[in-house]
Amino acid sequence: MLESLLALGGLVLLRDSVEWEGRSLLKSLIKKSALRGEQVHILGCEVSEEEFREGFDSSVNSQLVYHDLFRDPLNWSKTGQALPGGPLEAVRALCGKTVPGPVTIVLDSLSWLLLRLPCPTLCQTLLALSRQRSCPGDSPAGEQVRVLGLLHEELHGPGPLGALSSLAQTEVTLSGTMGRASAHILYRRPRQRPTHQIQWFSILPDFSLDLQRGPPLESQPHPDPHAPPADPMTHLTFNLHLSEKEREAKDSLTLPFHFSSEKQQALLHSGPAPAASRIFYEPDAYDDLDQEDPDDDLDV
Amino acid sequence: MAAVATCGTGTGSPGSTVAAASKNNVTSFQRRGPKASGSDSGYSRLASIAGTRPSVRNGQLLVSTGLPALDQLLGGGLAVGTVLLIEEDKYNLYSPLLFKYFLAEGIVSGHTLLVASAKEDPAGILQELPAPILDDNCKKEFDEDEYNHKTPETNIKMKIAWRYQLLPKMEQARPVSSSRFGHYYDLSKRIPQELIEASKWHGFFLPEKISTLNVEPCSLTHGYVRLLQFIQNIIYEEGFDGSNPQRKQKNILRIGIQSLGSPLWGDNICCTENCDNSHSLMKFLYVLRGLLRASLSACIITMPTHLIQNKAIIARVANLSDTVIGLESFIGSERETNPLYKDYHGLIHIRQIPRLNNLICDVSDVKDLAFKLKRKLFSIEWVQDNYLRQERNIYPPGFSYLLKQKDSAWGEGSLQHSTFLMSFLAKATAFASRLVRHSEPLKQTGSGRIRQAAGPRLWHDGRRREAPGLLVIPP
Repeated sequence: MLESLLALGGLVLLRDSVEWEGRSLLKSLIKKSALRGEQVHILGCEVSEEEFREGFDSSVNSQLVYHDLFRDPLNWSKTGQALPGGPLEAVRALCGKTVPGPVTIVLDSLSWLLLRLPCPTLCQTLLALSRQRSCPGDSPAGEQVRVLGLLHEELHGPGPLGALSSLAQTEVTLSGTMGRASAHILYRRPRQRPTHQIQWFSILPDFSLDLQRGPPLESQPHPDPHAPPADPMTHLTFNLHLSEKEREAKDSLTLPFHFSSEKQQALLHSGPAPAASRIFYEPDAYDDLDQEDPDDDLDV
Repeated sequence: MAAVATCGTGTGSPGSTVAAASKNNVTSFQRRGPKASGSDSGYSRLASIAGTRPSVRNGQLLVSTGLPALDQLLGGGLAVGTVLLIEEDKYNLYSPLLFKYFLAEGIVSGHTLLVASAKEDPAGILQELPAPILDDNCKKEFDEDEYNHKTPETNIKMKIAWRYQLLPKMEQARPVSSSRFGHYYDLSKRIPQELIEASKWHGFFLPEKISTLNVEPCSLTHGYVRLLQFIQNIIYEEGFDGSNPQRKQKNILRIGIQSLGSPLWGDNICCTENCDNSHSLMKFLYVLRGLLRASLSACIITMPTHLIQNKAIIARVANLSDTVIGLESFIGSERETNPLYKDYHGLIHIRQIPRLNNLICDVSDVKDLAFKLKRKLFSIEWVQDNYLRQERNIYPPGFSYLLKQKDSAWGEGSLQHSTFLMSFLAKATAFASRLVRHSEPLKQTGSGRIRQAAGPRLWHDGRRREAPGLLVIPP
């Protein structure tokens, strides 16, 4: 599962919630890409660096480049370490990290950024991040830059969530039942139909992934929707089915509005034979027989 | 002017000499013929712009949208000087196709293009345009595709649904080699590079044009302002508004704006419901329409209306655009499994058609249109429900609205469906039997004997009489 999530470039959105947290999945993705030898840049906003780095072994930790926004986001201590300009500049600074080879940029929490920056600005910056190439003539095909963003979906309304979803190439929504986590993965490749996949998993203490099968099926309360419902024809007092002979008769019936050749012949030949139809007219006392003067029956 | 011509005996103006020469005519009004030097805005000149044609209904100059089926639905094409707004489908799969058809049609007709996007590079968009079909060899391939999809079962059911055979067919893909209006494109192939290089196009890619991204929300219109200035410059410099009289050959400017209103343009309407700058998009559309009306250009805009949080904005945007088409794809919705729509990928809604110099607009009668993305073609068809077609034959035409409502609420073959059918038939036969109660049963013979059903009797001085002219069976 992790390979498929990391295979596409662009923005990978991890939506988690209070019950199903996503930071451990994020860390397992980081570990996977670090073990593949990629550059990993992390912008940490929500947790401290020590807490983020714990659980990784030293080989992984040495590959992570951590940009800390948690300790001093507004640069109050005025040291040289903190990034000036606030969160936006910090994100933009990641754009400039053009090194050859595939790069993974991790935004520890997009929610943190979304609460402090206007949503359109963040979307534009994310697009700039995922569009950058390592060098102009270097990347042969596809994008080499991956942006992993963690989003707490309960903090935001449908507007920003929809906007970020439309921007993302891959969207992973974490949920689960009965203590087992599942990931609903939606792949939105640029010009292809989106594909959907559900994967049950659990994360081991060393941040490797254990894929599992779905939960046992007896917990499904809904019946199969494609099973035929109770046949409504059983209790009717009339018969709606057609026997074979009736079906043949129905098919061979000429409909009254069909302009068939018999009808055409009938219409063509009915011209010179008006003898069968005659009009018998009995004039009334009030009927006027004089065709010339229409006002003859008036009392003027 | 005519008075001068009649009264004037002098030979001052050429018009009066012409009028004097024609005293034998009934009227002395004489139309001046076209001057030999050629004025710069004669009607004959305008009609000779490549890729355009005047509308048969109101004389508007039309350009093709790239899809002849869509042209047919819009009443011939897109009028020059108007905006075509496409409401994107949820995963933005099919609206880029319409966008690309529009641009490809511009390249093939020789129009100038202006492509604006905040997400993709315009050069990249142009590389992905479909290739035009310019020879008749491909006709055989298209016909094969058509026939493969027709199953014998549909032919059986069409026998009963006679009314559908009388309906005009939607235009099938018939590549015409030398057509000046409305070409066909092959989606599986890219447009040849030399066609792109031979065409004239301008690109507007927002991240390049905006060097400093400000954080304050009052700069939300920044992207729109830049785009409007860009469009205005192009129109003025290249003389699409008639400002450059040295231009001999007029041309059309086709503007394509992708995903307007999305957050990538800096607009907030997709993110919040009550935003301060909700009017920036309205102002943009208003100014854009002013620019278009004063120049020879046509514009296509795709907008992700499914992301817009405030529904009033969608209504305002539709009012400010001329033609509005909505695409609704079935991906992920419950309609995907509906057998009604199994052959189609989505519905296409023609929401608005403009009334240009007209009191009425040209809305087609057919409301249920669906589209299908085949391998080479994006086709638009009427939703063909076999069952409904059969039923429409039994029911009189006025009852089809009931069928529409009913079918959306009830499934096919459900108990309500069958009882509705039976009750309707029972009522219809009861009504018919009242008609024929007082005379012989209706017999249709070929010999022409006509019997009239019993109509309302005429009461005449207290006596119940047969109506005059009622046919009496000859003894």
